[in-house]
Amino acid sequence: MCEWCFKHGDGGKWYNNARLYRNELADEYNAGEYLEEQWKNMETLFIRKIMGFNSIGLGYKMQMPIIGRLIRKVVEGQIHSEKENRNPVRADGHFGQVLPLEDAQHIMGNLAAEPIIKNYCVCRWMQRGVKDAVCINFGQLSEVIEKHTRYIPEGVKYRLDREEAIQALQEQNEKGYVASVWFQPVPYINAICSCESPECGGLRLRNDFNLKTVYKGEYLIDIDIDKCEGCKSCVRMCQFNALRYLPSVKRVIVDLDKCFGCGVCRHACKHDALNLVPRESIPGQAGKY
Amino acid sequence: MTKKTSIKLDYSKCHTGASTDPRECRKCLFVCDPAVFLMHPTLEKHPDPHNPEIWRVDAIWLSKCTGCMKCVEVCPEKAITVKPGDSLAIIRGF
Ligand code: SF4
Ligand code: SF4
Ligand code: SF4
Ligand code: SF4
Ligand code: SF4
Repeated sequence: MCEWCFKHGDGGKWYNNARLYRNELADEYNAGEYLEEQWKNMETLFIRKIMGFNSIGLGYKMQMPIIGRLIRKVVEGQIHSEKENRNPVRADGHFGQVLPLEDAQHIMGNLAAEPIIKNYCVCRWMQRGVKDAVCINFGQLSEVIEKHTRYIPEGVKYRLDREEAIQALQEQNEKGYVASVWFQPVPYINAICSCESPECGGLRLRNDFNLKTVYKGEYLIDIDIDKCEGCKSCVRMCQFNALRYLPSVKRVIVDLDKCFGCGVCRHACKHDALNLVPRESIPGQAGKY
Repeated sequence: MTKKTSIKLDYSKCHTGASTDPRECRKCLFVCDPAVFLMHPTLEKHPDPHNPEIWRVDAIWLSKCTGCMKCVEVCPEKAITVKPGDSLAIIRGF
């Protein structure tokens, strides 16, 4: 349980709270208007100026002690913002968390508001130049995205029912994409992404600049040493470089500081050696999102 | 002292309306392993917001550029110039 659970979880994980998916909540926060502005402008996010800085050469700027600290504070403050005058083109209040397939499928089956659509991943389009229809959006966001045809997959059925969305998540996760759930804006939840690094904007800021734009998952991987046969298959699945094969002991090891608990590596293991355990059950990792 | 990477694009060659539209080509985006480039609608200085019709490519994540020069080689318009500097791994903060 992270700070979002305490603030918005009503006693459980934030993304399991049915209230945060409802239309009434969206209306209360004027989400429709926010989403309209945000999605019209999505591809310009990283060239917009934030307090006089855009993201061009962000790494060099963040290396400067005073300016670096200031940028960190401002960017994290915006992504976590719950203020009333949030700026949609800066993605204020657009915070997300990595989650395992089971949790993502539970959301699609039980919590997500209709209509549900799948659309082109904007990150992969603007950073890799490929069209990959893997973003699952729902509720008021679907109706906004449908108006912007550049995000809508051509020649396929893009409105999904719950079963189709669950199946789509399954296929994407097995391919190696990492599931993530998003507020847009806090506390309204309307997207489950299947992300790829380094294109994903949220994971980029987290992985390369350690900005807390996305939290690690509620879980961590546990390797059953007795079952691991050292086939190395899981290593290529991990987008976070958390797994490595050791020739001396003929098995894989995990760096828990790097593990996001996405669970994607499990799809590769034929020996049932990989399982997710709650982050809270590992004292050195509890609370480290 | 960190030497910053500099990457310049010649928009007279690649731009919506120039001989190549980046949305058709996309080759630099495809070959760059660290995904340094961003393809986006033009952002006018003022007025904001942007011009949604005119697209171009900018090099954004300069500190992630490894100086491999693949983008320079692949660009059919010879529109990209890279002056490699230091590539930075994860920025941990202070
Ligand atoms: S957050 Fe992930 S899936 Fe969503 S648009 Fe970005 S990379 Fe694509
Ligand atoms: S080791 Fe952790 S981060 Fe890597 S794929 Fe497995 S669960 Fe995900
Ligand atoms: S896939 Fe399973 S058996 Fe193979 S190395 Fe990974 S944990 Fe071990
Ligand atoms: S030189 Fe290589 S790493 Fe740098 S921008 Fe070009 S393709 Fe990317
Ligand atoms: S490779 Fe050259 S022409 Fe093609 S999109 Fe990139 S900059 Fe433009």
